[in-house]
Amino acid sequence: MTRPRAADVAPVEIDEPSINTNVDIDRPWIVLVWNDPINLMSYVTYVLQKVFGYSHEKAESLMLDVHEKGRAVVSNGSKEKAELDVFRLHEHGLWATMQQD
Amino acid sequence: MAFGFKRTIQSKGPDRFIINLREDLREVIAAVCDDVLAALDSENAPNQDPMLRRVFPVAHASDESVNEAYRDLVHSDLLRTRREALERVSATANDAELDRATLETWMIGLNTVRLVLGTRLDVSEDGFPQLEPDDPELPAWALYEFLGVFVGMVVDALARTA
Repeated sequence: MTRPRAADVAPVEIDEPSINTNVDIDRPWIVLVWNDPINLMSYVTYVLQKVFGYSHEKAESLMLDVHEKGRAVVSNGSKEKAELDVFRLHEHGLWATMQQD
Repeated sequence: MAFGFKRTIQSKGPDRFIINLREDLREVIAAVCDDVLAALDSENAPNQDPMLRRVFPVAHASDESVNEAYRDLVHSDLLRTRREALERVSATANDAELDRATLETWMIGLNTVRLVLGTRLDVSEDGFPQLEPDDPELPAWALYEFLGVFVGMVVDALARTA
């Protein structure tokens, strides 16, 4: 078997991704909490309730995502909001980072 | 760990908690907070001491410019709130009763101690390692376990009265 020559192959239209060198400043940031072996599961749940006002069910479900999948997105928004959220999580000793979505 | 028959942390409503803890364990709580305060005050810049890396984590997994801006913005606040929490726990370690705000400060302060101790012990998901009775690390592991159990009780007391 040989590879088909280029001439035998119908041309295919390819959607070239447009190259955009401008960073979109409006693109939201996400805040991630990462799994760590030190913080207690009940502690992480309580902190997520306290910092974000989430229900126990929502906070526990996020905590289980962190525990089972290694990380979870816990909030999103502007860069300033993400920085504040990360700071509040760091104040409570959670391993949190932010990144542009 | 003998806590006696009373619940270690008895809630009397959402803003009043009775702490039933032996005197020697209260001394341990004050001492570990003082130890971490001393580490925060040591000549090493806190963001350079590897034992404190979980106390002052980075804000971005890979972007050093985000991390630098974040450090400039919050590091002194993070250091100050950490110090205040540890000082408050140490100062109230012998109190028979705590209000909710102080119990939350105990939760955060003692969790900070666990982060430092857990980093030193290189804790993993595997939990408590098999140690010989004369292993020099045994007291540190016992302390880590005690703090884990106790912080868990604090969280439970706060969560069931939230």
